[in-house]
Amino acid sequence: MSSPAVQIRSRVPRFADAAIARARLTVVPRRRVRAARVPFVTLVSLLLLGGVVGLLLFNTSMQQASFASTALEEQAANLTARKQTLQMEVEKLRDPQHVAADAQALGMVLAGPPAYLNLSDGSVTGDPMPATPDNRLRVYAAPPVKPPSIDPRPIHKIVQPQEGILPGTTDPSADTGAGSPANTRSTGTNDSHKNQQSHRQHQNQH
Amino acid sequence: MARTSQPLRPRGSLRGSPTLRLRVGFVLIAMVLSVFGARLVQLQGIDPGSYAAMAAAEGMVNVVLPAERGNILDRNGEPLADSIDGLMVVADPYMTVDQAPEIAKFLAQRLNVDYFTTLQRLRARTANGDYSRFQYIARRVPSTLASDVVTAAAKRGFEGIATRRDPVRDYPAADVAANLIGFLGTDEPLAGLERTFNKQLAGRDGSARYEVGAGNVIPLGQNTVTDAVNGTDLHTTIDRDLQWYTQRVMRQTVEDAQADSGVAVIMDSKTGELLALADYPTFDANAPLESPKKDLGSRAMQDVYEPGSVEKVLTLSALIDAGKVTDRTKLRVPGSLSRQDRVIHDWWAHGLIHLTLAGVVAQSSNIGTVLATDKFKPGQLRSYLSKFGLGQKTNVGVRGETSGLLPDPSQWTHQTQDRVAFGQSVSVNAVQMTAAINTIANSGVRVSPSLIEGTATTADGDVVGTDTTTTRRVVSEDAAHQMMLMMERVIDPEVGVAPGAAVPGYRVAGKTGTAQRVGAQCGCYDGTFTVSFAGFAPADDPRFTIYVVVQNPRNGGGGGSVAGPAFAKMMSYALRRYAVPPTGTRPSRLPIVW
Repeated sequence: MSSPAVQIRSRVPRFADAAIARARLTVVPRRRVRAARVPFVTLVSLLLLGGVVGLLLFNTSMQQASFASTALEEQAANLTARKQTLQMEVEKLRDPQHVAADAQALGMVLAGPPAYLNLSDGSVTGDPMPATPDNRLRVYAAPPVKPPSIDPRPIHKIVQPQEGILPGTTDPSADTGAGSPANTRSTGTNDSHKNQQSHRQHQNQH
Repeated sequence: MARTSQPLRPRGSLRGSPTLRLRVGFVLIAMVLSVFGARLVQLQGIDPGSYAAMAAAEGMVNVVLPAERGNILDRNGEPLADSIDGLMVVADPYMTVDQAPEIAKFLAQRLNVDYFTTLQRLRARTANGDYSRFQYIARRVPSTLASDVVTAAAKRGFEGIATRRDPVRDYPAADVAANLIGFLGTDEPLAGLERTFNKQLAGRDGSARYEVGAGNVIPLGQNTVTDAVNGTDLHTTIDRDLQWYTQRVMRQTVEDAQADSGVAVIMDSKTGELLALADYPTFDANAPLESPKKDLGSRAMQDVYEPGSVEKVLTLSALIDAGKVTDRTKLRVPGSLSRQDRVIHDWWAHGLIHLTLAGVVAQSSNIGTVLATDKFKPGQLRSYLSKFGLGQKTNVGVRGETSGLLPDPSQWTHQTQDRVAFGQSVSVNAVQMTAAINTIANSGVRVSPSLIEGTATTADGDVVGTDTTTTRRVVSEDAAHQMMLMMERVIDPEVGVAPGAAVPGYRVAGKTGTAQRVGAQCGCYDGTFTVSFAGFAPADDPRFTIYVVVQNPRNGGGGGSVAGPAFAKMMSYALRRYAVPPTGTRPSRLPIVW
């Protein structure tokens, strides 16, 4: 097995012996390379510091976001409430009762029966009628009926005018046209006052 | 200098030797440490749980996430009931007592609450004489108003006023369909659909638990949220505008007739959907307590009454279906008819007259109807009426519906049959009767009425709604057609009793009813009447069936003069609203005499 090696060695010339002896492997003294400590420590410190600062910043930003979210949530709640209140007001305005009352206030009444125009053959069916004040719908409940003690029947008193005096004037002088406007007015006031009195008397008798 | 012969002790020696000092020091340290130890045992040994809980509770917030209550909508999605965010305004009398009059004045002005009640509450004391810490000032205040008021109060330096969440239920159309929808009490639904379908409407509250610092959520703190499940909207088949109109017409009718109450039902003839179900007197759903308790329910569903002549439609169509008569059957109608226990009269005095069956309907002759009904085999009429739905609940989803009263077969005598034939001795609710009349409109097929669009489950677990609609044939198509032609004669201004129910341009089929009414006190016919009108239009292709009932009119009117015009107004409005063109055919000309 080792014969080729032996053959090689035998072929090596003698003069190289010393060199071979010198080239023999020997134990090399361990070579200690000391890495520079400063960069590593710096790196680790930086990482640590960066981590801490980053964490702090992250935390701060989250806190900041939390503040913002609280404020925005409050704003959203307020706006939702506002929207809903407005929605409620719109619904109140769209209430059929409200629409009908407003329409009647504008003098509108319900439509009468319409005519139908058939587009396929151009025929007109139906019995159209114009809208009249009779179409008015009673939108509000009738006021409650008051007992007669609270709501006495109106008393109508027909007074025949005296002979020779025009209706609407009580003072014969007014007939002559001599009374000033102020005078007439005061007469009128007196007159209505008297009427009220007589009315009251009547009520008492009633 | 004898005094100085003895050397003075050095000052430092007063503090004793180092050993002594050390001992004293150790004793002191031991005492302090033993106090710490005792405290440690107290905290950790005796009751560690409560302290841990206290620590956790510090800054921990529990909130209820309220579920939004579902809306109740009409068929077009218009809200009949909806929920909005609201707040309650509460006071802490311990803090408000000093400024009570000023605060009360302020709140009374801004929140429209009573000054004196508010003043009392701001000074309220508990049973043991301390000031109370919690009093309601106003409930269900729209949140914008409530928060404005509290902010303004704080600005004026009033302390002790705060808000809490308190959702507001709003009924935008006030009294429209209020009898059906019902209302909410302070905390739970008290009546109507609100109560029947509460499970669906209410939803489920959620909850959240998180840590706060200075009013803000701590980002990485504990945080658990269970989302609220909002209530589901309830879709009804009611048409809000039509319902409003029907209610107003009903009010006018009842007021003008000086009647006790009135009911009107509008039904889609083909589908059985109830488009309007009006009651008068009614109430404002936003303030239900201002109305008497008896007006808070639905009379259309919960009250029974005897339908009177309207029921003849059912009797006679059943007779035609059974092959006993036709619309031209000739009858000799005497002025009065003696039966075993009583004499039957017509509403008008007459001698012997020759009426056709159409004439019996047009003139609403009791005697003619009874004579025709004699042709029934025993039990036949009752079975027909039962198929028309009398004596059975309609189950549309209204609470406390009455099933009406169809006499039991064991009590069904010949005399009973005579009276049932023209609508006495049998009791119905208005929706039941509408569905029965609608059978004629729908060519003899009864379609079950419905109030809820789709399906919904009631509190009793019944599934109701348009998806559960059932149909059944009661009378033949021919019988229904003949009945329709006879009913058209009722509206005829020359031969009929209810020309006021005519709708210009349209063919209308209908029937009046004037029934003796059972009084509440005596349990007998007390001389008052129930007047009604039921009909459908256009007669030859019906779209709507309308039934109007007025209880106890005091103006002497009957079905034709009180309920007929109301019917005509509602029908005219409904046909116009749904753009139903007239059919353009000629109305029936059936002979009424022979």
